[in-house]
Amino acid sequence: MAEVILENICKTYGNNFHAIDQLNLSVEDGEFLILVGPSGCGKSTALRMIAGLEDVTSGSLRIGGVDVVDMPPKDRDIAMVFQSYALYPHMTVSENIAFSMRLAGKPKAERKKRVDEIAKTLQLTSLLDSKPANLSGGQRQRVAMGRAMVREPAAFLMDEPLSNLDAKLRVQMRAEITSLQKQLGVTTIYVTHDQTEAMTMGDRVAVLKGGVLQQVDTPKRLYESPVNAFVAGFIGSPSMNLFEATLMGDELTVGAFAIRLQNAAFGRRPGLKSYAGRKVVFGIRPEDLYDSNLESGRKYQTIPAKVTSIEELGSEHIVHLSIDAARVDSGDPDAVQDFGMASNAVAKFEPVSAVRSGSEIRLALDDTKLHFFDPETHLAI
Amino acid sequence: MRKRHTTKDRLITVALHIALVAGLFFAAFPIYWMLSSSFKSNTEIFALPPTILPKAFTLEAYAAILGDPVKLRFFFNSYFVAFAVTVLTVLIALLAAYGFSRFNFRGKGSLNTLIISTQTIPPITLLIPFFGLVVSYRIFDTYTALILTYLVFTLPYAILLMTGYLNTLPRDLDEAVAVDGGTSWTALWRVIVPISLPGIVATSVYTFLLCWNEFLFALTLTKSASMRTVPIGIQLLMGQHAFEWNQMMAMSVLGSLPLLLIYLIAQRFFLAGMTAGSVK
Repeated sequence: MAEVILENICKTYGNNFHAIDQLNLSVEDGEFLILVGPSGCGKSTALRMIAGLEDVTSGSLRIGGVDVVDMPPKDRDIAMVFQSYALYPHMTVSENIAFSMRLAGKPKAERKKRVDEIAKTLQLTSLLDSKPANLSGGQRQRVAMGRAMVREPAAFLMDEPLSNLDAKLRVQMRAEITSLQKQLGVTTIYVTHDQTEAMTMGDRVAVLKGGVLQQVDTPKRLYESPVNAFVAGFIGSPSMNLFEATLMGDELTVGAFAIRLQNAAFGRRPGLKSYAGRKVVFGIRPEDLYDSNLESGRKYQTIPAKVTSIEELGSEHIVHLSIDAARVDSGDPDAVQDFGMASNAVAKFEPVSAVRSGSEIRLALDDTKLHFFDPETHLAI
Repeated sequence: MRKRHTTKDRLITVALHIALVAGLFFAAFPIYWMLSSSFKSNTEIFALPPTILPKAFTLEAYAAILGDPVKLRFFFNSYFVAFAVTVLTVLIALLAAYGFSRFNFRGKGSLNTLIISTQTIPPITLLIPFFGLVVSYRIFDTYTALILTYLVFTLPYAILLMTGYLNTLPRDLDEAVAVDGGTSWTALWRVIVPISLPGIVATSVYTFLLCWNEFLFALTLTKSASMRTVPIGIQLLMGQHAFEWNQMMAMSVLGSLPLLLIYLIAQRFFLAGMTAGSVK
């Protein structure tokens, strides 16, 4: 076990494309850090650089206090779980798991003992003589985990290991990997583009965009205090609604309506006052918008909205709305374009909500949950 | 909904079947003729009208070939040269293909183009230069001459074939080996080679066939009867005064058998699925 420290790490490709720009990251001993971001943000490149599968253009990379920049992968004392699992197809589960020990010249008895231990932990004992082709997706994923665990490495590197599983299995494996990591206490860096995985699995989450680190924090703080509009939009599902408004006194003027701000809003964000009379970007999460006809929404101020479509999920309704406000793009290239011509906002309503598609409603919003960003820099105010 | 067959559809089907049977006859008859002639006496072969089935079934042609050490030597030579060239080709092509498939190096593109361009040169144009080289290096009428010459023709295509195959194997496997503590060499021999068997077998069969059937260079670069290969041996049965057709056919049958066996054995390797379960 060891800490992993990245200092000013850069990765530039031949065509002068900066895949990673000045990445500084410190992963503590035993910590579970999630690297998250949209496609092409450099998260996999960063992980591959830590693994030694990709050269570092500049910067320093230390694992357990040892500078590993010029070391081949085999000398870095890391284990990696690939997105594709990369199991050796001609070997049995047992041989797959024991392969690294075999290369290290460990005696057969020791290999068998260790493989049996791992198989027991991962519930693979009955499959040890099977070939990968005969395993299900979840079982293959476990074998890939076993292959990483067998070496007792200083750090685990996982590159979207759940992306090939179906939704149900993904939820199960998510919990299994988290509990396994806690049990083993090995420093783990986990790459994903799925913000649900990011929020539920890691001790801390590092959000990357365009090769630049945006924020590293606990899932809770990322959700509650995003440093910029990108993080605000990226973390949370559905994404935070971001709109442009003008701050007039203690009111946000948005198109044909206004949102009153309480004094506490200015107290929490002293910088907000300086935007008086100017444009500002405000954000509100779908879960902080309510159906004003329901008890939960009665205590909040309301704004006019038109329901464009509803997704009834059973436990909640995802309600797509059209409100008279200019939507702001968070800069997430992967953002689901669920805002058609008619809709520019999303709300999560309780399943008892009776709103219907096409109806004009009063949308209740919890103004204490508003987020504010600079319209130019998109930095949080 | 079931489609109704019209008379026109039926006529097309019948015509198609007639054409296929005609095609089959055209392709299979020479093989049948070779087989049946090998069991006839030379006199019966020259009989008019020709006999479709051997009237007097005889193994004399086979006995003449299998009982003649000189002719058996033709088989040994063909086997030895074809086997040696196949092993060397596969070994060199595998290493070259691994380099092309997995590494970036200066001149990779040009080298690749060069290899492809060698395929456009008709072998016969190289006959005289090769003859000159072989004589200069004092390897005329030796196995070395045949093996080195054949390698020149088999390697480019084998490299292209193997590179194409290795390109289909996920690079994650090489990286998994690297992380597991292995080198590129480990990845090649412990993982890539075992799962490349279909590619290796296809390359081997192609190479073996090319060597086994080769006539022109074997005729030019060897002289003594002890160095001749099967195709030359068959040709030698056409004497100035006598044509031993039944022996030629028997030798052709015996010469075709190894190829048939190789195909039968190699068949299962041609099936896809060696990498099943590896990724995703």
